[in-house]
Amino acid sequence: MTRAGDDRPMMDHEYDGIQEYDNPMPRWWLLLFAVTIVFVPVYYLLPSDIGNITKADMYTQEIAAFNAAHPEAPKMTAEQVGVFVGKADAIADGKVVFMANCVACHRADGGGQIGPNLTDDFWIHGATPLAIHTTITEGVLAKGMPPWGKMLKPEQINSVMAYVISLHGSHPTNPKEPQGILATAEAAKP
Amino acid sequence: MEARLDSFSYDDAIVRKFLFATLLWGVVGMLVGLLIALQLANPAFNLGQYLSFGRLRPLHTNAVIFAFAGNAVFTGIYYSTQRLLKARMFSDALSRFHFWGWQAIIVAAAITLPLGYTQAKEYAELEWPIDIAIAVVWVVFAINFFGTIAKRRERHLYVAIWFYIASIITVAVLHIFNNLSIPAGPLKSYSIYAGVQDAFMQWWYGHNAVAFFLTTPFLGLMYYFMPKAAERPVFSYKLSILHFWTLVFLYIWAGPHHLHYTALPDWASTLGMLFSVMLIAPSWGGMINGLLTLRGAWQKVVDEPVLKFFVLAVTAYGMSTFEGPMLSIKSVNSLAHYTDWIIAHVHTGALGWNGFMTAGMIYWLAPRLFQTSLYSKKLAEWHFWVATLGILLYVTSIYSAGITQGLMWRAFDETGRLQFPDFIETTMRLMPMYWVRVAGGTLYLSGMIVFVYNIVMTWAGRPKTYDVFVVQAAPLGTYVPPQAAPVVGGAWARFTGLLWHRTWERLPLTFSVLVAVAVIVASLFEILPTFLIKSNVPTIASVKPYTPLELVGRDLYIREGCFNCHSQMIRPFRHETERYGEYSKPGESIYDHPFLWGSRRIGPDLAREGGKYPALWHVRHMQDPRSITAKSIMPPYPHLLTQDLDFATIQKRVDVMAMLGVPYGDAINKAESMAHAQADLIAADIEKAGGPAGLKDKEITALVAYLERLGVDIRAVKPVTTPPGGN
Repeated sequence: MTRAGDDRPMMDHEYDGIQEYDNPMPRWWLLLFAVTIVFVPVYYLLPSDIGNITKADMYTQEIAAFNAAHPEAPKMTAEQVGVFVGKADAIADGKVVFMANCVACHRADGGGQIGPNLTDDFWIHGATPLAIHTTITEGVLAKGMPPWGKMLKPEQINSVMAYVISLHGSHPTNPKEPQGILATAEAAKP
Repeated sequence: MEARLDSFSYDDAIVRKFLFATLLWGVVGMLVGLLIALQLANPAFNLGQYLSFGRLRPLHTNAVIFAFAGNAVFTGIYYSTQRLLKARMFSDALSRFHFWGWQAIIVAAAITLPLGYTQAKEYAELEWPIDIAIAVVWVVFAINFFGTIAKRRERHLYVAIWFYIASIITVAVLHIFNNLSIPAGPLKSYSIYAGVQDAFMQWWYGHNAVAFFLTTPFLGLMYYFMPKAAERPVFSYKLSILHFWTLVFLYIWAGPHHLHYTALPDWASTLGMLFSVMLIAPSWGGMINGLLTLRGAWQKVVDEPVLKFFVLAVTAYGMSTFEGPMLSIKSVNSLAHYTDWIIAHVHTGALGWNGFMTAGMIYWLAPRLFQTSLYSKKLAEWHFWVATLGILLYVTSIYSAGITQGLMWRAFDETGRLQFPDFIETTMRLMPMYWVRVAGGTLYLSGMIVFVYNIVMTWAGRPKTYDVFVVQAAPLGTYVPPQAAPVVGGAWARFTGLLWHRTWERLPLTFSVLVAVAVIVASLFEILPTFLIKSNVPTIASVKPYTPLELVGRDLYIREGCFNCHSQMIRPFRHETERYGEYSKPGESIYDHPFLWGSRRIGPDLAREGGKYPALWHVRHMQDPRSITAKSIMPPYPHLLTQDLDFATIQKRVDVMAMLGVPYGDAINKAESMAHAQADLIAADIEKAGGPAGLKDKEITALVAYLERLGVDIRAVKPVTTPPGGN
């Protein structure tokens, strides 16, 4: 830092009464500047795992690391899905999930609005618990059903599936017209 | 010694005009800011289609940057330039033209932005006729300014003038090249650039608007008003020189840091980061030169509100110019980008640096311009403390909002799935902080109102007629070098002796050309490769132009300002691809004139929105977002269901796009009928799904068509709303 005693006004520098000192630039400031300039070549020489790496490579590495740490879980079987059907606690949990995520399209009573009626005997993408589970998990993008597998936890999907099946035959008022193919009540059981 | 002296006077009337305009637009701009802060905290504050967030947010930024800060800069430049050059402005008529022209532009902005006329480029929203007006007024300002330099009576240009020169030249270049567009109507145009290139140009402009509209002119003001108010010499002439030139040269490169991890090529992103890091020292040079000028005058800060404002302003400048380079580091940026952190960062600069520099300057000017004493020093103190508290509340709450949301977006649970997959959860968490921001903004605005009252009361105490002070100064004769001691030593000694720079300071044309060269050469280093290297934007065969109806829908998306809250750019992080889908590729936006990548995610990204929800979902969502998502803070758009779609202009829009090189093929002659066909299809689909009937002529249909198209071209899924036989 400069000491006040160093101040020497520049000769011949006066503008509307403003003078300028001939002080040197602070050392620490020059040093800071030099460090940031040196950082440029250093950055280009950095090994890719701590610095200079392309976006695409970085993403590939992130996905590979994730996949290595999280081997894909095997798909649910009909038996595994079936145990949740009719279970009171699953249905109760499922209702909470349903109210938070599904009512915008399927209505609070499941009677259907943007999405189809879930209470009647007609199903577009299959009526078995496993088929319903799959529809919820993977969605039907072409029809506007989002894949909930990324949004909901596995146990939430099990329980909302159980809740949807529990709505069957509830006959809400003013439901959406039937869509899909007729599935007997028997077929809705595992 | 020459005996003959010119007698002349300074034009202070024009300074008074700009001063009042500063105050007026300051209050307006901040009032709009407060309203949009309220809208984020509670969507009920969206007051119909003309006063909803998407249209008012650009009005706020434009009003504060170009109307408030702009008029403040002109106030200071018109006052100080005349005195630093010992000359009246070149032409009083041009001064008045500049003043009234600028105010007319502001009024035009205040009318057209709420009406939805926008180019959708941040801080360059104004449509083409207004852009032309800005260019004309700016050139008039430049003629007036350089004309004053030409007839100056001070041989050398002071550092404040250097900064003014750099600002005037660079803003002209930035404004013209970012706004190049082809008109498609009286208040509608399409950018000549598309996608990656448009994004690059926009942030070359956007970043340097901050640099050359909000930084360099204010540094110029600092170099005049701070030593004046402190009555102390400037700390270091050498520092002025080095930080001026490095700032001007380095700033231009930094724009790409606004586009880290987007579809911008990696090399540009890296350059943007490295040059931003190198900007710390040049920026801090200004702060140091300001603060160290106060050495020996610190006791004055205690009882002089003017200096208090300056000290806090320069400190805020130092903080935000340290933070800026930190934010430009890619890994830091990956957390901060799209969040409120950026909003906090700019408000440190805007409220602290620009706002407080302006306040200090006007408190210092008022007694001089109104030839009386300041109405109340005590009120000025109150303004300072209330506004400082306002800044603290604003900035701390919005920093925490930004960091909170950024961390929530990227959080995974132990099974590797998003911890907060529902976007609304991350929004709800911010609500308390949004209310604290409202409180902070209210305090700052209160301070502003006290400020205006104080200045108006000072003005009320003015004399019946203003005295006109006659100044005497010798005209510039031929230059006789002073008897300087010869420089001892070699080239290095001559270089550090800086006499070469002293020579530039008395050659304004040379100086200005050097500034222009620094700015333009630095720009071309990035612009040329961005436009010329094909591999920067690999094309994707399946990416096709928007259908005519989708194009109009896109224009409605622009009109409503959707891009202010929704990005369309998924970054290559697993937490983004899990939430939104495959990350965005450069080739996907080649037909996007203008690009709509966005800079903030108040709502979720929409780059892959197409096919996610049925058409009816969008209709209901636009009509009343809260009927779909109970806690949503999105404004409602019921007018889209009632307003007729403007089919008549569709052909013109398509033709302009075709002129820009978008391969429209068939659509060139039958855009309108194609749009009708697609609209009929969508309206029928909505009705069949149980939605309202008769939407085929309504705006909502076009918007739905656009939303359903977003991001589907590189996926196997066909949008539900595309007519058979292609896009």
